[in-house]
Amino acid sequence: MSTLHVISHSPFGDNRLSSCLRLLGSDDGLLLCGDAVYALQPGSAPLASLQASNLQGRLFALEEDLNARAISAGETTRAIDYPGFVALSLNYDKVNSWL
Amino acid sequence: MAKSLLIISRQAPWAGPSAREALDIALAGGAFDLPLGMLFLDDGVFQLAPDQQPAQLQQKNLAANLQALPMFGVEELFVASSSLQERGLSAATLSLPVQALDDTALAALIDRFDQVITL
Amino acid sequence: MNTLTVGERSIALDKDGYLVELSDWSDEVAAALAAHEELELTPEHWEVLTLLRAFYQEFELSPATRPLIKYTALKLGPEKGNSMHLNRLFKGTPAKLAAKLAGLPKPTNCI
Repeated sequence: MSTLHVISHSPFGDNRLSSCLRLLGSDDGLLLCGDAVYALQPGSAPLASLQASNLQGRLFALEEDLNARAISAGETTRAIDYPGFVALSLNYDKVNSWL
Repeated sequence: MAKSLLIISRQAPWAGPSAREALDIALAGGAFDLPLGMLFLDDGVFQLAPDQQPAQLQQKNLAANLQALPMFGVEELFVASSSLQERGLSAATLSLPVQALDDTALAALIDRFDQVITL
Repeated sequence: MNTLTVGERSIALDKDGYLVELSDWSDEVAAALAAHEELELTPEHWEVLTLLRAFYQEFELSPATRPLIKYTALKLGPEKGNSMHLNRLFKGTPAKLAAKLAGLPKPTNCI
């Protein structure tokens, strides 16, 4: 069963992202929203670990959270809006929110 | 058949309400006979450290409450080996009988449950 | 504040009739609480109350019905650790009523 993991905390000063990457299954997806989109900051350590995690086609970020923070999705990440978020969650068996 | 739920508890015991809330979900679900599992991850493994004295902080004894999980029918209890290792804890000295899993096994564990919540 | 009078003592109860201070409990207090519920305590009742006190000592919480049954079965055997026996002793609500008589807090997670 595939899982969509949703993270909304900044990867700086919190280890949700690194823990999530450690236990991410090969069919699982990862959606960054809120301050978690800072993980896509160019040149940052979180971005490097995302790029090293082989997430082609399964890494997503909420567009409005990106825009609000002047972060761009880059090549590895697909930016989605809220309807896209809903559609995406239906593609997975379950959603795991990292509260 | 009720849907199975995995509760991932990843906050230290006295850092805020998260550890208590994760346990309350488990106890409530267990009281209603839901198929539940609980995984201690990251700082959540500190909840299982032996010989804590929460009375010093005027807190309820979370470790004692955790012992009740099997009585509430929650017997699938897991801990992340890597989280223990990073924090210098040994699976052998923990205050609760938990199964230690490596990262690959954690992915398989999450896969096996119908629903997952991480606190 | 509700109170319960036992001999000379006046004991504080919460709005649901549970002891405010767990340390106020004694055999006499249990009997008085039971009388309040129009229940006469038999050795079979006492057995369960003692067990509940032990449960609280061990886990520091009051059991809901299922864990109460499980714990009773574990300690006293399946002929006592079943819902029929416990319901009969405690008027159909063993988790709530037995916790009250044993001087424990009201169980959460309990319908």
